[in-house]
Amino acid sequence: MTPTEAREPVVLFIGQPNCGKSTLFNAIAGHKVESTNFPGSTVRHAHSRVVVGDATLNIIDLPGAYSLCPSDPAEKVALTHLFREKSDVLINVVDASILGRSLELTLEILEMGLPIVVALNMLDLAEKKGISVDPVKLEAALGVRVVPTIAVHGRGIRELVEAALEAAAGPRRPSLRPGWTPAVEARIGELVGALPADFPVVFNARFTAIRLIESGEAYGGDFSAASGLGIGTALEQTRAALEADRGLPAYEVLAAERHHQAQKIFEETSVVRRRTRRSFPERLDDVLMHPFIGYVVLTGVFLAFFFIIFKAGSPLEAFFLRPLESAKAAIDARWGRSLWATLLDGLLQGVGGGVAIVLPYFIPLLFLMAVLEDAGYLARAGFLLDTFMHRLGLHGKSVSPFVLGFGCNVPAITATRTLESRRDRMLTSLLIPFIPCSARTTIILALVAFYLGPLWAMGFYVANLVLVAGLGRILSLFLPSESPGLILEIPMLKVPSPRLIALKVYLHLKAFVRLAWPLLIGGSVVLSLFQYFRWDRTFNVVLAPLVSGLLGLPRELGVTLIFGFLRKELSLVMLLQALGTTFQELPRLITKEQMVVFTVFVSLFIPCLSTFVTLWKESGRKIAFLSAGLSVGAALVLGFIVRLLV
Amino acid sequence: MTIIDPSAEGRILRIVDIAGGEGVRRRLFALGFQPGDRVECGQRGIFGGPVVLKNLRTGVSMAVGRGIARKILVAVDDAD
Repeated sequence: MTPTEAREPVVLFIGQPNCGKSTLFNAIAGHKVESTNFPGSTVRHAHSRVVVGDATLNIIDLPGAYSLCPSDPAEKVALTHLFREKSDVLINVVDASILGRSLELTLEILEMGLPIVVALNMLDLAEKKGISVDPVKLEAALGVRVVPTIAVHGRGIRELVEAALEAAAGPRRPSLRPGWTPAVEARIGELVGALPADFPVVFNARFTAIRLIESGEAYGGDFSAASGLGIGTALEQTRAALEADRGLPAYEVLAAERHHQAQKIFEETSVVRRRTRRSFPERLDDVLMHPFIGYVVLTGVFLAFFFIIFKAGSPLEAFFLRPLESAKAAIDARWGRSLWATLLDGLLQGVGGGVAIVLPYFIPLLFLMAVLEDAGYLARAGFLLDTFMHRLGLHGKSVSPFVLGFGCNVPAITATRTLESRRDRMLTSLLIPFIPCSARTTIILALVAFYLGPLWAMGFYVANLVLVAGLGRILSLFLPSESPGLILEIPMLKVPSPRLIALKVYLHLKAFVRLAWPLLIGGSVVLSLFQYFRWDRTFNVVLAPLVSGLLGLPRELGVTLIFGFLRKELSLVMLLQALGTTFQELPRLITKEQMVVFTVFVSLFIPCLSTFVTLWKESGRKIAFLSAGLSVGAALVLGFIVRLLV
Repeated sequence: MTIIDPSAEGRILRIVDIAGGEGVRRRLFALGFQPGDRVECGQRGIFGGPVVLKNLRTGVSMAVGRGIARKILVAVDDAD
């Protein structure tokens, strides 16, 4: 490559799940992707253009991949990009606290022959585990630059960027990976020699040959079509020879050698201090994952979660509502029932609803979710709940998407990409829309908890989870199990980083303001127009048998239920508008029972627009419509039952 | 014996073999668990829940469901 000023170097971040890659990427990109302490939280790739000194870099963050043989869709995304992007330099992020394992991926990508810089991350965590890694020795062992970093503290970032720029401008390295045993090296050499001249070589012939040997039918990604490319017989021969040499399948021969070599490099470059007693995180894990206390803690965490959100949210809600109500009164007094006043009212309801009703609950929820994620508690919850998830025909790995679903269903559905089996992804995606997301939590807290008390809201939640469990059981009858069971990495517990948490809350909030506010405000204004011209009556009359007949709600609410499809909070904001009342006066117009029925219906009825679109994109049209059908059915049936019960 | 064997609890073990299909083997390899590695059994979930397995060589911990745990064949290797 000729070093030119005109071309902006493309820097690709690659590393195993949970190695701190996204945090490091963020530190450089300036707050674009989220990171969590759960293996596999980045499921999409992220692009960013950054200016460092007088250079501009294109940096790309890929989902974590344990190896170059993908076994879930998130890993496939990583590899597709790794092979397709014309990257000038790879930054391989390795977790120093589990260096031996991290280096297995490093050894694989070294074969690509691209310029590589290793970011030796999580050095602080390694020290806590009693491991000191010598970066100079590691550099010598790998033959590439190694930059020590602590991503959460922003340490080593500048050096890393400089090293990447230097490597990008430098010469291409020859494909080099020390250490295959001579017998294996010879077999690889044979296959390299057998590659036809027109074979679509990826990076270099040696890398291609290794990938061919290792890729199986389902694990090959871009290589599975090899048999059609005139290499089938030679490949079979090489595999057979390796298997005859060692008595193991060919891919295992390579995996085992790589495993041992990575360990050897780790042992040669690190000092591990023997400890006499278990470390604090380990002892804490004994409690958190205890067969009895673990569940007590889990329940406590769950209860605390909602009490804190409610305790923080309700005074704020009351506080923000006051100026809003006086503004509304002022508008009504000044302009009466003119078109102008109606529009202004709609605008005020939209803005006010977003600020006063949604944010007070949304922010504490985001904050607590971020704490749980960053501390690594989700993996523990996955461990504890695995048994119960089996009852729904799933396993503990689905816990993380479910918990994410309490924040927002959209990322939760994308997070199902970390599940290995298609069946598990489908079942989890179908159940996620029934998890009360932050929008629905807002409705539950703002309406049910605010007027009927927090215990009612808690009951609502529990009932909702029972519904998810029941649906899971029913759905899994139609989806016979093929899932092999749980294999979930349990990352070390860590103290959540305030910086990361603040960043995550900020990112979610930004997305919320950008996506939800326009819909909330637009929806309110449109509804006020509807009301002014009395179009809403048509809707309400058509829907009356359903709204008044079946659910026993005021028929004016018909139109708000329809709008709930755009954003769930919109139904709440519009509830006030449709009834022409303020939040404080609401109990005078509808009874508490009606509030419960309304909340049940809105919570369950149809996944919101963004969830629907995401479902369609991730799992296909059939699943999206199936999910919509399930939700509408459940909302009608349960709304009616609740009406009879309360 | 396998790692769900009660006598495996609290002992230092060596993975002898993974008696599973290619999918399971590849996944366990990817997480850094291979035959020959020294491991330790940690917490066990109730009601047939998962088992935590810590790889003493790589320092990685993972939770595996009982179905998979039954396929991880180990031998006691307490010698230090």
